[in-house]
Amino acid sequence: MSFVKELSKGIIKENPIFVIVLGMCPTLAVTSSVQNGIGMGLAATFVLICSNIIISLIKNITPEKIRIPIYITVIAAFVSIVDMAMAAYVPGLHKSLGLFIPLIVVNCIILGRAEAFASKNNMLASLADGIGMGLGFTLSLVVVAAIREILGAGTFAGIAVMPKTYEPMLVAILAPGAFITLGFLMALMNMMKEKK
Amino acid sequence: MKYYIKLSLILLIFCAVASGILAYVNSLTEPVIKDRKAKEEVATRSELIPDADFMEGKMADGTAYFVATSKATGDTLGYTFIAAKTGYSSKVQTMVGVDKNMTVLKIKVIDQAETPGLGANCTQDWFLKQFENRQATDLVVDKDGGTVKSMAGATITTRCIATSIAEQIAMLKVAIGGAE
Amino acid sequence: MKDKYIVSSAPHVHDKTTIPMVMWNVVIALIPALVFAVYYWGLRALVLTLLGAISAVVTEAAIQKLRKVPVSVSDGSAFLTGLLLAYNIHAGAPLWLPIAGSVFAIAIGKQVFGGLGTNPVNPALLGRAFLLASWPTLMTAGWVKPRTGTLSGISNVDDIALNLQSVSPKAYELVTGATPLKVVQSLRDSSFVASINSSATEGVDIANRIFTNITEMNSLKNLFWGNIGGCIGEVSAFALLLGAAYLLYKNIIEWRIPLFYVGTVFVLSFLFGPIKGSGYSMMLPFFHIFSGGLMLGAFFMATDYTTTPLTKNGRIVFAIGCGLLTMVIRLVGGYPEGVSYSILFMNVMTPLIDKFTVPKAFGRIKK
Repeated sequence: MSFVKELSKGIIKENPIFVIVLGMCPTLAVTSSVQNGIGMGLAATFVLICSNIIISLIKNITPEKIRIPIYITVIAAFVSIVDMAMAAYVPGLHKSLGLFIPLIVVNCIILGRAEAFASKNNMLASLADGIGMGLGFTLSLVVVAAIREILGAGTFAGIAVMPKTYEPMLVAILAPGAFITLGFLMALMNMMKEKK
Repeated sequence: MKYYIKLSLILLIFCAVASGILAYVNSLTEPVIKDRKAKEEVATRSELIPDADFMEGKMADGTAYFVATSKATGDTLGYTFIAAKTGYSSKVQTMVGVDKNMTVLKIKVIDQAETPGLGANCTQDWFLKQFENRQATDLVVDKDGGTVKSMAGATITTRCIATSIAEQIAMLKVAIGGAE
Repeated sequence: MKDKYIVSSAPHVHDKTTIPMVMWNVVIALIPALVFAVYYWGLRALVLTLLGAISAVVTEAAIQKLRKVPVSVSDGSAFLTGLLLAYNIHAGAPLWLPIAGSVFAIAIGKQVFGGLGTNPVNPALLGRAFLLASWPTLMTAGWVKPRTGTLSGISNVDDIALNLQSVSPKAYELVTGATPLKVVQSLRDSSFVASINSSATEGVDIANRIFTNITEMNSLKNLFWGNIGGCIGEVSAFALLLGAAYLLYKNIIEWRIPLFYVGTVFVLSFLFGPIKGSGYSMMLPFFHIFSGGLMLGAFFMATDYTTTPLTKNGRIVFAIGCGLLTMVIRLVGGYPEGVSYSILFMNVMTPLIDKFTVPKAFGRIKK
């Protein structure tokens, strides 16, 4: 069983953001700072791993006709747990991610992996898929967020990295900056793929 | 027909299990969240007016204010309250401490979602510091002829904070005037 | 090129017009404005303009090299984009600002979409929008006073009120420290008017006197010649009209868009321009058409071939839309000036306008 292969495919080859293009809403919205990117990525990864495990375990007792409602129930339960746990133990991050935590429920990556992978594979493979996809998602968010934060605020994870004379390019941390950064990164990925 | 009843039952079981787990997690985290929120407010209050006990009161519109009394002597030191108003893109909430003569001692922005890089700079120290030692009548932004220095590119946020505090001070005056 | 043989139906009309000819002629038409800008604000205006134009050319050449397509900077289109972008910056701006704007305008406004003729919106205006979103303070503060006049174009401040400086320091600061459109925007803001003077009626009175003064003949003259604060290229309505006349004579731009654009602004500013307490005035529409970037926008930016509708009726719709949006932004929006955003918005609407204004083919019966 190629545990490692399932694990690593999510990072580059089937990267959920740049290649499968899923979960665009949080990608565009929360990547204005690296901290937010990491927080959102890890929260989604946790939900993804848990839901992948549970869904692969229950795949035999899940009737075909109502599988989507059941997946959503499972995912929503984990998201609510993350939401409550974050509010209790990391309130600062919870505040800045705000509405996007409950919205993990409808993050296409999670339902997408449940439907496309976990419901057809065993528990171990689904676990690997969840970890890989989650890390790929987190990594992509951090890359997008790092570019935006460095250009738009002159900082990386809150630490000033640009010279004092640098005038922050505000547009990078506003909405258009998210689209432009994402577009360029996607183009870069495609370029690398074509070269191979 | 029987088939659909079976499906419904399965879904019901899933939902029931999920709800049960959530209820359990909620019972664990709820007190922590509440506790933390209360502590945060208390911490902010004592940051604004140190070494004081706080007693809650209500203003005309139902918002709360706190009377600060000195822990050592029991004298009234001042009041704290939350001023809230819609700025450029969000509701900006500021916790304000004033002394007995309604002069602002210190303010702190506790909640905002203004434009990053412009209005969101309202949490920075240099900006908050300038509100200290001002009366309600001095809370006028430079663009409107006052002396409160507005943040670059964010006059609206600045104006919102200044006027929300001034309005709230006016309400507070009525509230404590009525009590005495 | 694989499309060597173009197959199309008759009639085939050949025209001597070429892209370089059009582009360089527009550049020539823009020179009078630059001469006026240098006269009023000094050599810095020239330096900023050249930096913008040259960095646009360099960016275009570099990206075309990267894309492995023929380098076509000699057609003048990149030079023109850089020039127009620099015209949207005021003379007090830091030297790197036009460079940043030009790189963005060419790289993201034009080359990303495939180069000349394929950009959805005017690249120069996109560059300006980018600069305004990124460095709002650098773009809207630090206006340079013209050599002979004032920023707001009001020639004699004491006409408004004797000792205005002591009567209302705030009103004094406004008429000496803001551009004409900013003055008018502030006067339309009721909370500003209320703060001019401790007496409310006095405040409204002062506001009205400033308003009347800024639309008076002397102030309009300053506006027309460019003796005001503003961006490099929008300084002088006269210089821009001179250039526009040349382009119209050469048949490079068409009269519909500028006429309907300026006309819409004229009518709307007459109807909705007056402030509280001031009556209708025939001077006010002239103030609005000569101020800000309207002349530059209407003649040189809203007439761009790529980003405007193809059909004649479509162009009229486009121009009226631009005028309407400009006035909405000027009179009720948060910015003093709205020419650039209104043209950008209508650029995006262009495919839709084209779709609904397809002319009926000759001989075809309407369905």
